[in-house]
This record gives sequence, structure tokens and C-alpha cells, in this order.
Amino acid sequence: MLFNLAMKNLIGAGMRTWLNVFVTAISFFMIIFISGMYDGMRSHAKQVTIDTEVAGGAYWHPEYDPLDPFSYEDAHGIPPKEINDLINNKNAFSILVSQASIYPNGRMMPVVIKGIEPEQSIINLPTQSLLKEADGLIPVLIGSGMANYTKLKVGDAFAIRWLDANRTYDADEGVIVYIMETENFKVDMGTIWIPLEQAQTMLDMKNEATYVTFSKNISKVQGKGNWIYRDVDYLMRDMEAMIEADEPNARIMYAILLSLAGMGIFNSQILSIFRRRKEIGTLMAMGMTRSRVVGLFTLEGGMNAFFSLIMVLVLGGPVFIYFALYGIPLPIDYNEMGLIMAKKLIPVYTMGLFISTTLFISFVVLVLSYMPSRRIAKMKPTDALRGKVT
Amino acid sequence: MLNKNVVEIKNLLKNFPVGGDYFTALSDVKLELEKAEFMGLVGPSGSGKTTLLNIIGGLDSPTEGNVNVLGIELGSSSHNERAHLRRRKMGFIFQSYNLLPVYSVFENVELPLILNKVDSQERKRLVNQAVEWVGLADKIDSRPAQLSGGECQRTAIARAIVHEPALILADEPTANLDAENSHQIMKIMVRLNKELETSFIFATHDEKIMAYLRRIIHLEDGQIVQDEKIENPRMGN
Repeated sequence: MLFNLAMKNLIGAGMRTWLNVFVTAISFFMIIFISGMYDGMRSHAKQVTIDTEVAGGAYWHPEYDPLDPFSYEDAHGIPPKEINDLINNKNAFSILVSQASIYPNGRMMPVVIKGIEPEQSIINLPTQSLLKEADGLIPVLIGSGMANYTKLKVGDAFAIRWLDANRTYDADEGVIVYIMETENFKVDMGTIWIPLEQAQTMLDMKNEATYVTFSKNISKVQGKGNWIYRDVDYLMRDMEAMIEADEPNARIMYAILLSLAGMGIFNSQILSIFRRRKEIGTLMAMGMTRSRVVGLFTLEGGMNAFFSLIMVLVLGGPVFIYFALYGIPLPIDYNEMGLIMAKKLIPVYTMGLFISTTLFISFVVLVLSYMPSRRIAKMKPTDALRGKVT
Repeated sequence: MLNKNVVEIKNLLKNFPVGGDYFTALSDVKLELEKAEFMGLVGPSGSGKTTLLNIIGGLDSPTEGNVNVLGIELGSSSHNERAHLRRRKMGFIFQSYNLLPVYSVFENVELPLILNKVDSQERKRLVNQAVEWVGLADKIDSRPAQLSGGECQRTAIARAIVHEPALILADEPTANLDAENSHQIMKIMVRLNKELETSFIFATHDEKIMAYLRRIIHLEDGQIVQDEKIENPRMGN
């Protein structure tokens, strides 16, 4: 009975109902849209990191600490046999890391040299470009961020100075053979990539590596010596920490949007009770109990939210699908700010996101519809009939 | 008593709090109403007509005294019991009609039947019958905004009688209507009173209504000052 009456009241109110529904639907749309954006950003950042840096995991030289550049001097050695077997079977590749300074356009800049096997295909970096002829100079691959920062272009030569295994400074000239577009600032800013063999020669560290990155689906080797096994979870922990640190922002945004939707519903309920107090009195005079009148108004609020969700699915669904397929172009390059973010953000809308958002919003809406409706329970029918709210 | 009297009131006192004091709206009211009576509560503004009507309708509670309506002692009954009594056995007609603006005539009249959980087929039959009684069959799908004042009040009457209550309470039902519509409305109610044996109580100071009444209770300052029985009303016979 209440359902039929609530339905009649909502449909009968015509444009007023649909305006309320539309405004609530916009808030719901934004909640799902923003949540999808956040999920998309996180998923993209994780995927890019795995794709261009982490792969299936790594074995680190025991002295290697990526956050302590001074550890690089000692963090090199010949990988144990079983790890070398992975390398020989093309299931892994070595990276040799060293501190260095470069002098682009006469200015000094500290960098990290990373020697990498040019023919590796385990991570998605254009390392094959390092096979290009460099006229006897050191072929160097850098990211576009680094290129912008140093004003280096393909073909530009510059001096590189490094400290070799014998703690002796040496220098030579490098040439930019390729500038890669990458969304992972960690393989871009402050890093120059050179061929592994050249790095080993320059640093006098023949056959040595700082760490070995292996393919996905490769299980941990037994004979890893004193090299340290680092799985994907460990290597992604900085990323996870960043995402976790960003969680409150996402929650604040979610809360703001939910509050906006909630305030809209709360406001329309209060207005509805105020405007319809004579109707409330009439319903009571006709024998409707107070609890049923409260139920009727709560149900109307709940159905308002339900219609909003339907509207979001019908009108917002194609928009969600379009963005999920074609992405949202971002106006600025966030990589320059040290964020791993695509130039075109693809939001991720999962069934879980829809269900959890729908359930949570429905619960909030029911509570928010009920709260103002409780005032009805305190109304005296005689006051309500006179249009007075007590 | 229960078979004969629809309403029985003894020593009714009704006070309203005003600031830190009380205003006495009704005092020492004694009243009995028999089945099928056509009675009016008459008096100037502030004499207690509407308050007495509201107490009889269970919309307000007495401060003291006994109010028995259709066998239910209202002073000791709960909100829900009073709501049940109104739903089953009473109908209300208001000065400003109090129709639900988003409902059609049919839906407004149907509402008491929905509240009484009457099935849809029977609802349709009863609504059509009530709408016929008040002569609004051609307006059945109209909304209140599309009706004249007289048509609105006839819709309100149809809504009040559709579930065939034992008692109808009408608070200034003709106050917003012109003379012609007022007479039409009163004629409809006289006919319903005769055909359905429904008891009517009016709160009014409209001379046109008084001409149809068969009993007039005169109220002044919250007290009954005269109980006048009229064998042959000037109108409505």
C-alpha cells in the first residue's frame, strides 16, 4: 500500500520529482565517476610500474639500496649461477647501477647510470634503441621528462663522468640515441640508460650486475646465494604506500559528494514535509497512523534515490562506457609532478564499485529520508491540518 | 448506549497551554448524538466548535471527561486505536477541501479504501458509486487544480463517504463556497444522511447550513448554551 501511494505521490508531483531525481543522480554519477577515476589512476600506476620497471620481481645484490645512492659503489657483483641461468635463458636481465654526473650544455647534473641489456624484452622500455650506431660515443637512452629538463635532443652529445670499480673517476662522451615517452617517472627523471656491456666496461665490472629483473611467472630460484629476492609486492610497496597515502583524499572527495547528494535529499524531504503538512494532517484524519506516514515519506525519499540510480545507469551508463573505452584526456602532464599518470586516463568501473556504491548510497539515503520524516511522528494532526509544523 | 448513541460526551474539559497558563477551550460539555442525526455545532469564532469536532474525531485529546465515539473511549485509547476508528468508521470534510493535489478525483476518493485495504475491483466500484452520488462522474480523472471550489468540496464529500462511515465530521464545509454551491453541497449531504443513515456533525456559523440542520448545539465560550432540536428544517426536506 505504502509503495503504491509513494509511487503515486512521486509520479504525480511530475517535474518537481524529476528535478530532485536529476540533481541526486548528478551527485551519484559524480561519486561513481570520481571513484572510477581514482581506481583507474591506481590501476594504471600499478600496471605501468610493473610493465616498465618491476616485471615479475628481482634479485638484488645484498648491498643494493635504491634509496641510498652511496650504496651503489659497493652494490655490484656477478650474479649466482642459477640467476645467471635465468639471464642466459632470456627469463631475466641484468641492470648495473652507478652514480655519475653529466654535463649537458656545460651544466653539471647528477644522474644514475643504468646499464641494461639492449635486447631484453621483459620490461617495456625501448632498449633496442641502444643498439644504434653512436660513432664511438656512449649510446644513451633517456625519458622525455629528462630530455625536457636537460634540454637534450636526439643526437646531442654531452660529457659523462663516473666512478669506476677502482674508485677512479673517468669520463667519456655520450650521445642521445633515443628519447622515450614513458609514464613512469622512476625510469625517466635523473636516469640515463646505456648498454649493459658498455656500462660493465666503463665501470670495470665485467659480467657484474646490481640487480636482476626476471619475467612474470618465474618461480624463485633456490641457489640465489646472498642475493636478495624481491617479489612484486615488495617492489610495489612504495606505490602501494602512495596509493594508501592518497586514500584519505579519495575518501574526502567521496564524503563531499555523498554529503552533497545527502543534503539534496535531506533538503527535499524537509521541504516536502513543510509543504505537505496539510496533506500529512489529512492522511492522519483519514486514519493513517503516524508511523505509516513516516514510512510513506521515508519510502518516497528512498524511491527518489532509486530513480536517481536508474537515471545514472540509463543516462550515465553510456558515458561510463565511453570513458572506460576511450579514456579522458588530461590537460597537463602529471609525470612532471612525479606522478605515474597516463596522458589519457582510463577510469575503471567494476561491478564491485557499482554494487558497493549503490548499497552504501541507498543506506545513507534511507537514513537521510527517515531523519526529517521523524518530525511527522511528533506532529499533532490538528496542527498539521492547520498547516502548522510542531 | 452503544446501539443508539454514536457519540456520548460527559463533563468534557479541554485546556490549551498558553505561555505558562492555560486557555480553556471547552468546559463541562455534555452531549449525545444518535445514529443518523444531522447536527450542527454553531457559535462565534473561538467558541470551541472546531475543538469539539477534533476531539470527537480523535484528532485531539480531552483534558478531562469522557468521550465515547462509536463505542471507543477516546480518552484512554492509543493514537493507533483512534487512527483505526477514523479509518474504519469516520469521514472528514474540511473547509479548504484538503484534497491531495497530485491525485485525480478517482485517486482522492479511493484513498480511504486503500487505507482500509479494500481490493482493487471493489475499490473501483465503490469510488464510482461515491462519485455518482456527488455528481462528479464526468470529472473523475481531473485533478483538484482543474476543479471549481464546489467540485472540490463534492470530491471531498465523496472521499468522506466512500467507505460508508457511521459518522461524518464537517468543519465549515461551505465557508469557501458561494450560495449556490453551498446549497448543492448541503443537499447532497442531506440525501446521504437519509439514504445511508450516516450521522453528520457540522461545525459552522453559516446560516445556509443551519437551514438544513435538524439539531443545533449552540456554543459560547466553550460551553453548550443551547441544544435546539428542529422537527422541520427550513431546507432539505
